[in-house]
Amino acid sequence: MHASTTSQHALTQPRLPGEVKEVGYESMTVTKVPDWYGMIAWDALLNGMATGLFMAAAVSELAAPAVFKPVAKVAYPVALVLLLVDLTMLVFDLGDPLRFHHMLRVFKPYSPMSVGTWCLTIFSLPLTAAAGLSVLALLGFDFEWARILAVIAALPFGFGSAAYKGVLLSTNAQPGWKDARWLGGYLTNSALLMGCGELLVLSAVMGNTQATDILRTAFIVLLLLNLIPLGLLFANLQLAHARLYTPAQQWRVGLLLFATGVLIPLSLTLLSGGLVFIFVAIIFLLLASWSIRFVYIKIPHTSPLALRSG
Amino acid sequence: MASREKELSKLTQTSDPPGGQLAQVAERLIYPFLHGEPPKPQTPTGFYTDTTVCIGCKACEVACKQWNQLPSDGFEWSGNSYDNTTELSASTWRHVKFIEQFADLPSGNGVSLNTTPGESILNRWLMMSDHCKHCLAAPCNQACPTGAIIHNEFENVYIQADICNGCSCCVAACPFGVITRSDMGGHSHKCTLCYDRQRDGLEPACAKACPTQSIHFGPIDEIRENARKRVEELHRRGVPQAYLYGDAASETYSEMHSFYLLVDRPSVYGLPDEPFNPWLHMMGDYARSIVGGLAAIVALFIALFLLRP
Repeated sequence: MHASTTSQHALTQPRLPGEVKEVGYESMTVTKVPDWYGMIAWDALLNGMATGLFMAAAVSELAAPAVFKPVAKVAYPVALVLLLVDLTMLVFDLGDPLRFHHMLRVFKPYSPMSVGTWCLTIFSLPLTAAAGLSVLALLGFDFEWARILAVIAALPFGFGSAAYKGVLLSTNAQPGWKDARWLGGYLTNSALLMGCGELLVLSAVMGNTQATDILRTAFIVLLLLNLIPLGLLFANLQLAHARLYTPAQQWRVGLLLFATGVLIPLSLTLLSGGLVFIFVAIIFLLLASWSIRFVYIKIPHTSPLALRSG
Repeated sequence: MASREKELSKLTQTSDPPGGQLAQVAERLIYPFLHGEPPKPQTPTGFYTDTTVCIGCKACEVACKQWNQLPSDGFEWSGNSYDNTTELSASTWRHVKFIEQFADLPSGNGVSLNTTPGESILNRWLMMSDHCKHCLAAPCNQACPTGAIIHNEFENVYIQADICNGCSCCVAACPFGVITRSDMGGHSHKCTLCYDRQRDGLEPACAKACPTQSIHFGPIDEIRENARKRVEELHRRGVPQAYLYGDAASETYSEMHSFYLLVDRPSVYGLPDEPFNPWLHMMGDYARSIVGGLAAIVALFIALFLLRP
């Protein structure tokens, strides 16, 4: 039995599984893949949906309170529900969920997970207050100043909760992930885009035509703006994708994601401001957003070189 | 440790606090927040593994399993030389690697994998006992959000098993693929550099068991000095390719408290040729994340401001 006789670095010239019996260590991936699967893709989506909806509602309410106050009062409780589902997923993704509170025994600014945990924890408090006060306001007990104060207090931590996720998934040694310099930029930008879309749906459902018209335009602007970090992220991942997929597969998936995440939502939103059009457009956007996150999470798992890592 | 943890967790301990379920829940909630007095710093220690004298006996693997009460991983023929351990994991903290480099290529042209054209074929076995590198700036430690991973008083990277909650950030962060999360208990485990033995003034079990002194343990400055002398000696004795891996910091990675004497490229041994600390990208990644979010907020704000009635 002999060592492989061609000089080959693990991350540059992978062999396909089953092509050659693995001997030696050169063609093996050195790193181990963490047990982060589909639940993390859902977590990344829900994190963006919750923080994005809150931030979009807060910015809208603060910029034009006369128009957006009613829809913002509904948006905050919805954002809280989304956040609670997301936090539940985060807890159950731990190896020992009963130790989730151990995250709060220290604060480590150079650990993105620690920063994220603290941001999410602090964010959840004023968000709960804003959501509770919004519900009270809808029931006729309006504490306007307290609600606005809670919204302003939640804003920086909501932003932090959205911003940490991409850094967590790019600051590591995993093949592909470690090259994704623009993942954080894309995810944070995408959170605002999804949030604006959700707010648009809520305003359409509530029949707030003035808010719907303004948010439609804002949504189109954000949709186009999001193409910049998405393009930069794809450029970062070019090498990783080339390792995993054929050029034809890359084109097919890229076009599918572009059509689902950009062309269809853009066309539908431009076509009409009706509830059905808006709803379908946002569904397509969320579908594409989930797919992008899922494809990203899959990278080290699907690497032909990561087979031994399990 | 994983199996012992499972067994012991079911037993009533004499140190268990009295009381019912409520008291136990309270204890469980409060316990991780009680920070004890940190021990006084000791002389930093580490491993120096001289792969040129390793004979692949796996005594280090056995001693490690035995001392740390690690469970068996079962047995499967890997087809990769004598390496049926295959990798480091939560229950395997020592892994002896076997690399066979022989010149019976079909073409018989005398060019082998790990030699440059013109270099003679060595016809040799390479063996190496792999383990945690105990990096000075350890990515696993930087990633850990619970504070479970620490540098102990000997400057060794140590996972506090009673604090770890199995988030797997350390698994993702380690560029050497050392740490994994155990299926039993759901916590991360790796080489402790026999912390318990060190506290009692003993050397780690693997170093004690090594019959050829391939595994050296001691004060880090001392073993580093010895390792450099050994490299010079090997150069004098006609092994010019001998060098140390991880004994000193590079531009992209800190020094390691477990370093190796190698005679071929690191990737031949399953080590990264140029280890990179992912944290060198962190500030830039945060900046891009903030820019991406702020751009969207500003765009949204401008759109709302311009379009409002």
